[in-house]
Amino acid sequence: MADTGWPGCAKSLKGVILDLCGVLYDSGDGDGVAIPGSIEAVKRLKESDLQLRFCTNETQATREKFVAKLQRLGFDISVAEVFPPAPAAIAVLKERGLRPHLLVHEGLLPEFDAVDKTNPNCVIIGDAAENFSYQNLNEAFRVLIGLERPVLFSLGQGRYYKETDGLKLDVGVYMKALEYACDLKAEVIGKPSPTFFQSVLGDMGLKPNEVWKTSGIFMHNDLSGLQEMPSDERHPTVTADATVDNLAQAVDVILGQRGRGA
Amino acid sequence: MAGRRALKAVLIDLSGTLHIEDTAVPGAQDALNRLRQASVAVKFVTNTTKESKRILLERLQQLNFDIQEKEIFTSLSAARSLLEQKQHRPLLLVEDSTLEDFTGIDTSEPNAVVIGLAPDHFNYQTLNRAFRMILDGAPLIAIHKARYYKRKDGLALGPGPFVTGLEYAADCKATVVGKPEKAFFTQALSDVGCSPSEAVMIGDDARDDVGGAQNAGMLGILVRTGKYRDGDEKKTDPPPYLTCNSFPDAVEHILQNLL
Repeated sequence: MADTGWPGCAKSLKGVILDLCGVLYDSGDGDGVAIPGSIEAVKRLKESDLQLRFCTNETQATREKFVAKLQRLGFDISVAEVFPPAPAAIAVLKERGLRPHLLVHEGLLPEFDAVDKTNPNCVIIGDAAENFSYQNLNEAFRVLIGLERPVLFSLGQGRYYKETDGLKLDVGVYMKALEYACDLKAEVIGKPSPTFFQSVLGDMGLKPNEVWKTSGIFMHNDLSGLQEMPSDERHPTVTADATVDNLAQAVDVILGQRGRGA
Repeated sequence: MAGRRALKAVLIDLSGTLHIEDTAVPGAQDALNRLRQASVAVKFVTNTTKESKRILLERLQQLNFDIQEKEIFTSLSAARSLLEQKQHRPLLLVEDSTLEDFTGIDTSEPNAVVIGLAPDHFNYQTLNRAFRMILDGAPLIAIHKARYYKRKDGLALGPGPFVTGLEYAADCKATVVGKPEKAFFTQALSDVGCSPSEAVMIGDDARDDVGGAQNAGMLGILVRTGKYRDGDEKKTDPPPYLTCNSFPDAVEHILQNLL
């Protein structure tokens, strides 16, 4: 296979960040389904000398529950390797002394058990799915409009995603609705926020140009975060993602190139 | 007036201009009668998402305004005429109380999405459905894009946030049919048979009534009733053709200076 579109430097890679939904599995009823070849691809990456982390905007379940689901699907993944937005949001709340009103999926609520939610002075929205009712959006709106300095955190800003029974509106749509209603700009926690990627890179102890990141069908969402980084740290492979059909193929190319160069 | 043709039509806003809730603006009924004695067409134009023409008419007649249903043109009428013109079959996300304004419109196998104010219909499933239709090519039509409105129990989200969300999801731009859109004013004038330069608009909303009308080529008169707040006349560029205390003053000015 030609090297065009790939960094001539797959050999110099030290880590890989994988998106989950759309790359490892397609969501849907129950646990969803693993994408063919992806279980094996994760296994091969783990057996290589590359560091591996998983980055997700999953906000419908706690990290523990979510990882348990991935394990049931057959993936060899542990909780410490997975980075969703909710723990990052809780860190931000603590740092800034904020108490949230939550508009999130019921499955995510336990993540916020220990967080002070009395007399809220900010709003956090995640992919609340069925909880995105007029009533609940209105409550979030009223909290925001009643604040002197309204703060809205959005766990991701995706437009939509695919489930086995069709496309579903994602949290970004409701973030935009509240932004318009309150005439404010939300702070996005999760992909594609550069600080979110930075925290994953920090955990790996690597620089952006040492890491390859794949992202699936919402590639432009994922890539913009990396592109917002300082240009000298910009990832060399951002334009190459489009040439990958699936994870198995990407891993073939990366490991193949590294093998050839060794 | 120099540079303008003789006035042929007067467009009048309803809520805030002729009445405030269930009270008429003092002298408004007589002023309307005086205007009708002049040789000028009169139409009533309003952004409504909750009330059908019939409900609007009943309220105005109870307040003793001499008005006929065919003289009322609302944002719902504008949506309807757009649907008819394009032969769209809409998914109607509007309050049930307004459905009568869409009587006769084919809504089977919908191929367009119309968003009004529909708290009962704005839920996850319906919005997903609307989104999928838009992604498949259905046009998104917004009655208007108000951010929020006042309810007895406090502020509540208007249609604007939901329209904006769907625009973001499908990476599209909604066709807004209500005020202050240019098309709204030209449509309101179409059955009068005159051009915008031959018409004047009277309303209490600097941006939606006056700004919109003037942008369409009409004259705009701002009245200091209803939602008017001090300094509103500075909110439009160019400023209103005229700002006056209330509807009767506006009529007086028209009768004296524009006919």
